[in-house]
Amino acid sequence: MRPQQRTNTPYGQRRTSRRDREGQLARKKRNCRFTESGTIYIDYKDEKVLQKFVNEQGKIIPRRITGTSARFQRQLMLAIKRARHLALLPFVSDSIR
Amino acid sequence: MDAINHLYETTFIVNASLDDAQIEAAVARVQDTITKNGGTIESINRWGRKRLAYAINKKTTGFYVNIEFTGPGTLIALLERSYQLDELILRYLTIRLSKNALKARAQALANQPVQAETPLSIPEPLPVSEGQPEKGESA
Repeated sequence: MRPQQRTNTPYGQRRTSRRDREGQLARKKRNCRFTESGTIYIDYKDEKVLQKFVNEQGKIIPRRITGTSARFQRQLMLAIKRARHLALLPFVSDSIR
Repeated sequence: MDAINHLYETTFIVNASLDDAQIEAAVARVQDTITKNGGTIESINRWGRKRLAYAINKKTTGFYVNIEFTGPGTLIALLERSYQLDELILRYLTIRLSKNALKARAQALANQPVQAETPLSIPEPLPVSEGQPEKGESA
């Protein structure tokens, strides 16, 4: 909460727990997976990749959390929506049991 | 009046509870409508039976087929009309490949023949060329 505490956390530390994020103690190191790996196009057909950007409910995770660059978040959005249409990804999955 | 032939990609889901022969007939029908209306098929990819993420028409599995083809834009309307008339087809998606998609496709195609042509003569570069795309997928 205090500025001192903020500076104490190492910059390179990735977000580890929810507490860190909510307390804004750790400064996230943002890195876009797609930029790093040199991806050109995000395909709606590889569900495995898309699944990582969707939460348990089936919602698209905001890029403020995943660190995806704006360009790729746009592509990702399209790919996920296409995958949903083809029942590769769920629109909603209420796996609350 | 030259029609511009773009590269399209269509994926559709056939009712998987049918016999293989019936599914193949449905696939053949789609191929027919593409070729008869001025399109040429580049590749067909049968993903096979897959679980659907949610039920479509009360069915939980579907037979996925992906076709890449080139053709005039007028073909798309005809193709989608035929999809709607076909009762065996549960869902379909037709897209024109974007610039980036074309680039990625060209790259993938360029990588494949290299792997196919020189597996015996040069074994060393293969792990390198395989390793990079894998990283891209998994990292």
